[in-house]
Amino acid sequence: MELSQLIQNLLNGLAIGSVYAIFALGYTLVFSILGIINFAHGAVFTLGAYFTYTLVVGQFENNGLLRGINLFPDGSPFAGNPWAFALATLIGAAVAGVVAVLIERLAFRPMRARGADPLLALVSSLGVALVIVNLIQLLVGAEIYNFPSNAYGEVRPALSFELGGRTVIVRTVQLIIFGVSLVMLAVLGYVIGRTKVGKALRAVAESPGTASLLGISVDRFILITFFLSGFLGGLAGTLVGTAFGVAGPYFGVTYGLKGLAVIVLGGLGSIPGAVVGGLVIGLAEAFVPGDYSAYKDAVAFALLFLILLVRPQGLLGRAQIQKV
Amino acid sequence: MKRVALTVTLGLVAAAHAQKVQAPIPIGVALAQTGNVALLGQEQVIGARLAEKYINARGGINGTPIRLIFQDASGDENTAINAFQNLISKSNVVGIVGPTLSQQAFAADPIAERARVPVLGPSNTAKGIPQIGNYVARVSAPVAVVAPNAIRTALRLDPKIKKVAVLYAQNDAFSVSETGTFQETAKAQGLDVVTVQKFQTTDTDFTTQVTSTLNSDADLVIVSGLAADGGNLVKQLRQLGYKGLIVGGNGLNTSNIFPVCQQYCDGVIIAQAYSPAQPSAANQVFVKDYRAQYKKDPPQFAAQAYAGVQVMADALRVIDRRKKLTTWELPALRTELNKQILAGKYNTPLGELRFDKDGEILQKQFYVAQIKMKDAKNGSFVFLK
Repeated sequence: MELSQLIQNLLNGLAIGSVYAIFALGYTLVFSILGIINFAHGAVFTLGAYFTYTLVVGQFENNGLLRGINLFPDGSPFAGNPWAFALATLIGAAVAGVVAVLIERLAFRPMRARGADPLLALVSSLGVALVIVNLIQLLVGAEIYNFPSNAYGEVRPALSFELGGRTVIVRTVQLIIFGVSLVMLAVLGYVIGRTKVGKALRAVAESPGTASLLGISVDRFILITFFLSGFLGGLAGTLVGTAFGVAGPYFGVTYGLKGLAVIVLGGLGSIPGAVVGGLVIGLAEAFVPGDYSAYKDAVAFALLFLILLVRPQGLLGRAQIQKV
Repeated sequence: MKRVALTVTLGLVAAAHAQKVQAPIPIGVALAQTGNVALLGQEQVIGARLAEKYINARGGINGTPIRLIFQDASGDENTAINAFQNLISKSNVVGIVGPTLSQQAFAADPIAERARVPVLGPSNTAKGIPQIGNYVARVSAPVAVVAPNAIRTALRLDPKIKKVAVLYAQNDAFSVSETGTFQETAKAQGLDVVTVQKFQTTDTDFTTQVTSTLNSDADLVIVSGLAADGGNLVKQLRQLGYKGLIVGGNGLNTSNIFPVCQQYCDGVIIAQAYSPAQPSAANQVFVKDYRAQYKKDPPQFAAQAYAGVQVMADALRVIDRRKKLTTWELPALRTELNKQILAGKYNTPLGELRFDKDGEILQKQFYVAQIKMKDAKNGSFVFLK
């Protein structure tokens, strides 16, 4: 492989891999606290994109109950200015976080209160996901919604440079996604590693019973976990939406599956594992030759399978030790 | 397995046996109202509803109104099969317009064939659809007829084109069928197919395909996909610096791609089986009704669904003149309707159309259009002579 192609693939892989990473972090946070997979995370990802779209554009097309509505006939205050757009993104992600909290209240807490099998909570979250996706379609239809091309300000759509006589091209939006993802990962790392809230979260994850005896309100920290998870999912949704468009109510489904592969690959419940897993899957997809790129999902899952054969606990997961 | 199929078929036929046709005359519509194809299905539903409204406003079938019974066929085969079964055995429809996708038609149409219920495919353009059975016809011209026009037009616009990159959605039967036609046409025109890239209709990130295309130095790109993926692919091709002509397939033939590729849609060439500029009286009425409600030109998918319902209604009208529809036994009417559909000539928004003995549409006019964007969201298909 030529050096230019290698660099090109690396850039492509890092950009999409970083989105997988922040999306998968939402999965991981919930798993590390409750030991369950929240299948509604993909729907929250989709909602985040729609919430931000509502703030930045606020115009809905011909299908769905909101058809014909234009919230900003004179133009949205969140459009055309990168800082305003960033604020809209944060608000969209925060509202997605609130939805995730509601999901916890409706789908997980009642199950927990009855001591139900974690598998039931998983099925319950799957049901919530389907309801959300269908509600989105009912409200805004199946159209594709796009953010304005100047959402990040007047930036060039792509940057390119020569390497060994070949041109390496990267979309500006990919660089922005990568940068934002890195910042978010750093912030989350700081919150979990260095703050009181983070310590409490880790204590709850380690042993909810002990944490409760130490005066930590387990229920409150579960809600905080869900909010953070939803925030990250919603943020990832907006980032993907700006790069590729909000491709209808179902556009979180693929990411939901991919996120699942990422956390299993990285190691269930491992925050660094989610980051590494996301980047590994993103890079693996990017290195699939162009002629076979339709099979990139299969390649990602085949890689997952192979790695799990060698390391069943995932790349950075801890092996289960049973005392006899 | 065979025994189960036989039992189901006998059940469907028996359910309709010795049952008189109800008024209003029930016509089934099985289209994708949910799922990732709903983008097209919703347009079709709009077209079908406009046809129903127009037909009933003009007295229905010689005074008896029609009633469209909608069943969501979503975007997958199983849902389409269920929708067909419900329409046939529970709703007792006289015929069915649907499903949305060719691959659904290959799965669901045999159900109607076994139950002897006529089916009109409103958007099934893959090879082999009319050959599914005697009761299957389509109002959507096959890609083999429509697609080559777009390549010929591209060569007329830029005679220097030599190298072609072909990209297609490999998980969609229609796109696979269409790309075959495109590739054959390109080779027949003496063009060199330098790269063939595949993707999935659910994909959003096309960086790999686009960078491979750019490295192939192609001067024409041909895309076969659906609106969401195809529009996104066009956008990313342009954003990453591709400057040559782009030909889009039938899946991109909808104004729904405007908000997807925005200003980057500009210049995409698309061969079409329908044009809002089609001068027939039937089309003028349809365009007027559509514009009044939706403030834009109707897309092809709406026009084809409208034509499907209209063909059913026109054929029923002929039968009703011979013998009142409500006096027919349902199975007999279904068989008679199938015969009449194939025998008739229809003036629809697609222009004049007929069917051959297999149920293949015989359409007089096709069009090639180029997208012209007014701004980031609004554009139109400008017809090239």
